[in-house]
Amino acid sequence: MIKAQRGGKLWLLSVLSAGLVLGAQTRTEDRKPITIERAPQRVIKDQYPSFSAVAINPDENMLVVTDENLFQILEYDRRENTPAQARLSEPKRVISGPNTRAEMMCGVYIDPVTKEIYVLNNDTQNWLPVFSRDARGNATPSRYLATPHGTFGIAVDEEKQQMYMTVQHQNSIVVYPKQAAGEEKPLRTIAGSDTQLEDPHGIALDLKNRLIFVSNFGNAQISPPGSSGGRRSADTYGKFEPPSITVYPLDASGNVKPLRVIEGPKTRLNWPSQMAFHEPRQELFVANDADDSILVFRAGDQGDVAPIRAIKGPTTGIKNPPGIALDIKNGEVSVASMGTHAVLFFPVTADGDVKPLRIIRGGPANQVALNIGNPGAVGYDTKRDQILVPN
Amino acid sequence: MAHPQIAAFARLANGGQAPLRTVYGQGSKLSRTMHDIRYDEMHDEFFVVNPFAEAILTFRGGTSGQESPIRIIQGPHVKIGGNRLDVDPIHDEIFVPDGRRIRVYPRTANGDVAPIRIIEGPDTLLTRAESLSVDPINNILVVGFNKGEQDRENGALLIFNRTDSGNVKPRAIIRGPKSGIIRINQMAVYPPKKLIVATMPGLVDQMEPPDAFLGIWTYDDNGDVPPKWKIPIGSKTTLRKPFGVVLNPKNKEVILSDMRLNSVLTFAVPEIF
Repeated sequence: MIKAQRGGKLWLLSVLSAGLVLGAQTRTEDRKPITIERAPQRVIKDQYPSFSAVAINPDENMLVVTDENLFQILEYDRRENTPAQARLSEPKRVISGPNTRAEMMCGVYIDPVTKEIYVLNNDTQNWLPVFSRDARGNATPSRYLATPHGTFGIAVDEEKQQMYMTVQHQNSIVVYPKQAAGEEKPLRTIAGSDTQLEDPHGIALDLKNRLIFVSNFGNAQISPPGSSGGRRSADTYGKFEPPSITVYPLDASGNVKPLRVIEGPKTRLNWPSQMAFHEPRQELFVANDADDSILVFRAGDQGDVAPIRAIKGPTTGIKNPPGIALDIKNGEVSVASMGTHAVLFFPVTADGDVKPLRIIRGGPANQVALNIGNPGAVGYDTKRDQILVPN
Repeated sequence: MAHPQIAAFARLANGGQAPLRTVYGQGSKLSRTMHDIRYDEMHDEFFVVNPFAEAILTFRGGTSGQESPIRIIQGPHVKIGGNRLDVDPIHDEIFVPDGRRIRVYPRTANGDVAPIRIIEGPDTLLTRAESLSVDPINNILVVGFNKGEQDRENGALLIFNRTDSGNVKPRAIIRGPKSGIIRINQMAVYPPKKLIVATMPGLVDQMEPPDAFLGIWTYDDNGDVPPKWKIPIGSKTTLRKPFGVVLNPKNKEVILSDMRLNSVLTFAVPEIF
């Protein structure tokens, strides 16, 4: 009886509260939002390009850079040298806009024959758009390939007409036909517990010795031996490993062990980003982002080895370099220096704190680059009155 | 993006003013895809997730350069899986959403530490829980839902009790066409006025979403409820794709990061505080 009475009271209460909720719901559902349309008081914004990747075609003197800040693909004459007193160098052409399917770009390649530009989106767009020699403005790509989310580096085997890409989000390398388009699937994938792919970034090919070089930031996923890899599966977990360069056979596929690994404190690797391979010299060039340096290793290096050369120091002007390209014909290495809105050119034999041969600046010489890229969040440090912006 | 970093700007920074400090490099253990950052004033610490190494990183407040985190939660027992978080400095807890569940860790945990509780199960209605914010004063946990390929329904805000655990029903769900919620990138709560503030950047692959906005709801909202206040994209606000949001109640400001602008915009919005 008591139970029934209590139950009845509870029922009554729930009906009453449901009515109250329903009433509240009705009122709020009819609500007209108050629209706050006013200008911001302050805007933190870098108005100049952030150069994330660079490619060169020496025959046409083409220098193509991707810009993560203003979402542009820019072509300069590679011989350009921004005068010291000039504000910046104007590009020969710019490709940018919502039709391009290009946004947070980290990789770029120029077809040596057609001079088409291949661009890799690292985030927000899962496409590899290809642009013709004449594309400019808000151009629709000549073709585009659906790629896995998080592609970063690109290298091409022109003889086999195959393109290789690193995928951060899958700790993998995917290989596609160079002419792949639409939803075409990769020819093969290198991924899995044995690969030691740990947040892979740059990729370079030694076609003479049939090798793939991959730079890794060291953000590892530990999975049971023999598993095919992938992030966030039930039996994996994260681990911080040292940064590394892993080396695989050119035709590798599946869960393969690296042939060798360059890793350790002597290597000076610190967020090793894009790489380029100099086949005649058998040297591997590494854009070493967080060390403001370019490191050069011998093709056969292994283990905890020091680079044979390092371009680093205040005279070089290198600051946070994610991108690098080699111009073997003219004996130059070009560096996308994101922290200074610039592309810097050095002799391939440069070593130490050396002055660049030329500089192409996309912004004023004294303007610090903010390096804000895809700011997914914002925080506020109330003690210091500072705005915290993660990329 | 090519260069992960956390940049700290003066509150009054404007234009191309350089950051006062940046955190970056191998020692920092940072990665890209830091889709949340939370500052804890009580303990002068800030928190981010490294989703590639499945780690929760805690830094001392004034961290600069290639300084390492003071604590790292990482290992086989951690199982974080998300890339956003919030911290409750009063009850010393860290909340991490992971699609179908919310995991809660001790704030002071370090190493391979299992969650102390998990909100998970069919009654929770959690399917694509990507963002959250915790209110330690009113004991509320708000969870943001995203529309995605696996979940064609629009996004939602689910309101739980802060101490909820296991297979619990949400207290309220804000969802539907009037709400305008599709995808939430970051959110904040304002305990004194019981407000939920969330960025709505539109679908993930839309470069220039037509109806992105910042929406402000209250804890009492339930059902298909439009926001109480709204900061839209457009020529007046200059916003194009709002991603991050944080409140600065002291100066009555809403601070937003915009993905399409690669910018941080500060709005004076005294009426909401």
